[in-house]
Amino acid sequence: MAAILTEALVVLVVGLALALAANQVSPRGLALTRNYFPAGNGQPAASASGLGIRRGATNSPALSPAELLAVRLKEQGLQLVDRLTAAQLFRNSRSRQGRIVFIDARDETHYREGHIPGAYEFDPYHPDKYFPTALPPCQAAEQIVVYCHGGDCDDSESAAFLLRDVGIATNKLFVYDGGITEWTTNGLPVETGEQNSGKLSPPDK
Amino acid sequence: MNGKFSFRSCATADIFAMLARWLLGAVFLYLGLNKALHPVEFLKLMRQYDMVQGSLSLNLIAATLPWFETFCGLLLLAGIAVRGTALMLILMLIPLTALVLRRALAIESAQAIPFCMVKFDCGCGNGEVFICRKLLENFLFIVLSGWLLAGRGRKLCFRHTLSQVKPDRS
Repeated sequence: MAAILTEALVVLVVGLALALAANQVSPRGLALTRNYFPAGNGQPAASASGLGIRRGATNSPALSPAELLAVRLKEQGLQLVDRLTAAQLFRNSRSRQGRIVFIDARDETHYREGHIPGAYEFDPYHPDKYFPTALPPCQAAEQIVVYCHGGDCDDSESAAFLLRDVGIATNKLFVYDGGITEWTTNGLPVETGEQNSGKLSPPDK
Repeated sequence: MNGKFSFRSCATADIFAMLARWLLGAVFLYLGLNKALHPVEFLKLMRQYDMVQGSLSLNLIAATLPWFETFCGLLLLAGIAVRGTALMLILMLIPLTALVLRRALAIESAQAIPFCMVKFDCGCGNGEVFICRKLLENFLFIVLSGWLLAGRGRKLCFRHTLSQVKPDRS
C-alpha cells in the first residue's frame, strides 16, 4: 500500500509540475495572478440561490440573467441599455464620428463570425492584446456600448470593468445586455470579418 | 480442468482490464485536452462551483487540472505507474463528482424539474450533459480505476509499477 501511495504522490508532483509548465508554454495558457473576473469570482450579492445556477444551466433560473446583471452593474455604478437604446446609439450620427463606440467583448472567432458594424474587438480574457486598438477610441468617445453574446454572458461586464480600471469614466460606459444574439434576431445589421470590413448582413441599403 | 478454466478466465480478465486501462486513458486524454485547449471556457465553468476564494486559486485549478488529466490519460495509455495513477483518478473523481452532484441538486431545487432532467455544462470536457448520465459515467470511471488500483491491467504496460520489487533471496 505504501508503494502505491508513493507512486500516486510521484504522479501528482510530476503531473502538477508538467501541468504548470504546459500552461506556461501554451499560447492559450492562463495568467495565474490575473483576476479574470473583476466583478468577483463568486456569486453576486443579488444571486437568487447562491448555489451557482447563474450561468450554463439550460433552464432559466428564478432571477433572470438580465435582472442579475442590472443589479451588479448598479452596484458598480455602470449602466444597462436595452436593444432600442443600443440601436438608436448605433444609428446616431455621433456613432460615425467616433463619439459613440461599440465594444465587442467576445473572443476573436465569434467576433469574426459577426459583430455590430464598426465595433472594436476587446476580449476581456486577453486585454493586453486589445488595449492598443480599443483604448484610444474609448478615451475619445462620449459613450461606449459594451456587449457580448447576451443572456447569461457576463463578459461585457468584465470588459466594462477593465475599461473603467484603466481610467474610462463610468458614466460613459453602457452594457448592452441583449448582446449580439438579441441584435441579430431583431434583424439589425451585422458585419463579418475584421472591423470595417464592409461585409454587412443584411446588406447595407 | 479447474486450473485451465481459472487460467483462461484470469487471462480474459487481464485483457478486459487492459482494455479498461486504454479506455480510461483515452477518455482522460480526450477530456483533458478538450479543456486544456479552451482554458478560458474551463475557467468560466470552474467559477460556477464557488470552490475557492480568490482568483489565484481558481486560476491554478483551471490551469493545471486539464493538463494533469491529460498526463494521467497518457500514463494509463502507456501503462506507466498504473496503480498510482488509478489512485489519483479516484481521488480526483470522488470530490469532482460530489461538486457536480451538489450543483445539479441546486439547479433541480431552483427550477423544480426532475433530477434526471437537469442538464448543464459541468466543465467535464464534453459540453452540456444530463446529470444522471454524468453520474453514471463517473461511477463507471471510479469502478474501472478501482479495478486497476487492485493490480489488474498489467498487459502491454511500459512500466506498470515505478518501484522495482527486489527478488526475495532468503
